[in-house]
Amino acid sequence: MTSAKPHGPGVRRTPTNASMLDAWKEGRLLIQHCADCGSTFFYPRSACPSCWSENIVARADDGSGEIVSFSLVHKGLPDIFLPDAPIVLAEIRLDSGALLIARVATGRQRDVAIGDRLALVDAQSAPDFALPTFRREIER
Amino acid sequence: MPSSRAGIIGYGSSAYHKAAERTEQSYMVMAAKAALASAGLTKSDIDGIVVSSTTLPPDNAVTLAEYLGISITWASVSNAGGAGALVNVADAIAAVEAGRATHVLCLAGAAQDVNFFKDRINRFTSAVSDYLAPHGFGGMNGLFGMVQRKHMQVYGTTRAQLGRIAVDQRANARLNPAALLRGPMTIDDYLNAAPIAEPLHLFDCVMPCSGAEAILVGPLDRVPEGVGVAVKAFAERHNHPVGEVTPLRGGWELFRDTFWDSAGFGPNDTDFVQAYDDYPIMVAIQLEDMGFCPKGEIGRFLERMSLRHDGDLPLNTGGGQLSCGQTGGGGGMIGITEAVRQLRGEGGDRQVQNAERGTVIGYGMVSYGHGLSASALALEVAQ
Repeated sequence: MTSAKPHGPGVRRTPTNASMLDAWKEGRLLIQHCADCGSTFFYPRSACPSCWSENIVARADDGSGEIVSFSLVHKGLPDIFLPDAPIVLAEIRLDSGALLIARVATGRQRDVAIGDRLALVDAQSAPDFALPTFRREIER
Repeated sequence: MPSSRAGIIGYGSSAYHKAAERTEQSYMVMAAKAALASAGLTKSDIDGIVVSSTTLPPDNAVTLAEYLGISITWASVSNAGGAGALVNVADAIAAVEAGRATHVLCLAGAAQDVNFFKDRINRFTSAVSDYLAPHGFGGMNGLFGMVQRKHMQVYGTTRAQLGRIAVDQRANARLNPAALLRGPMTIDDYLNAAPIAEPLHLFDCVMPCSGAEAILVGPLDRVPEGVGVAVKAFAERHNHPVGEVTPLRGGWELFRDTFWDSAGFGPNDTDFVQAYDDYPIMVAIQLEDMGFCPKGEIGRFLERMSLRHDGDLPLNTGGGQLSCGQTGGGGGMIGITEAVRQLRGEGGDRQVQNAERGTVIGYGMVSYGHGLSASALALEVAQ
């Protein structure tokens, strides 16, 4: 499996997403939960989109989940991503409940299917990806 | 919102170019001149401007007044992306009826090419910039590939079924001298095109280009018979459904029933549809949500329908964005100008026979996974 090099389009660091970005550098996924209503959501927000509570807790998430849908992206990629094309861009439902869009890093793009079980990429390769990135469990 | 006093009295389109040969404002001037001419009005009649463009900032409707050398009493901008031009027209009618302006120039367009768009798309919204672009997401194509794959999985929709939209729109475009993409296209051409963001292939994706569209809104009773087009219904809805990432439905499903009630006609007796065609799958979802067929049955619906200008359900009769090109925010207005052209009987070789009622559907403002904005306009030849 090849991986994206750093220096693609970056993430603007804000007070809202800083803890998520810092954790990801170590390969850990933090997902926001509302301590008042229990909602789980992504992307990071300062207030719960369900109840507007600002009592938000960033919880460690092991990244277990599955592919809801995906694209195999061949074109329109920044040059830095071209060696990995087609990249797998997926809608992912985490077992913890959050829905997010993220990349599934794989060299076997043609084998990817809706319903595939996912896990986070290994911690040592996490710094190669600007945002939390997944891999198929079957490729472990 | 339906109004018998104010309506659409002029329309115009600039030339379209694959790469910018003019500035955005310059394309808007071309479209505005055509709109004034079609209404029999002059520049000094305009006292309102509303604009729909994601590339115009930091300029806006007021700086357009400066550029155009006119003093205006009402100025507004859209924040609904490709759904915004329809909102602009509805707002312009409301402004005229409220006495805030007499003749409002509605503008939309862009000066861009494919490479400009590829860069810009990474900064489309904060959520796109921060949480999609860093993945190398492939722009809107990457997102709508996910939407289409989900529709195929959930409802059994096939690429061959969706191809009907691109192929029939191309047939319409071949009768439109202004369309940028006029080469013949068969369903095999569609199916065998290069992959872009699978399941999307080349002919599923709009080509960003340069140009502008203009609509002129004003009192219907001051224009000659046959020139005015009445707005019978308008609706907008933003951020529905809440909290989904790649939904197979949008705000249309919430306003469809009241919209058709207000229009006084429905999906079975509209003479044509101009839908927002950034991708065939989104045309399909709009047709479902607006009630042209039940949810999930668009595939079979498309198998039995001709969408050509002389077919069962004339769709995007000038070729739409898929064949004309997408002029940024102008992609949200091309359906309105084409609808007005048709209702005035000025469709040339692609004229829909006896066109009296038309439907325009808007969609846009893509953010974290899908377009947030839905809109629709029901139009009728003014009596």
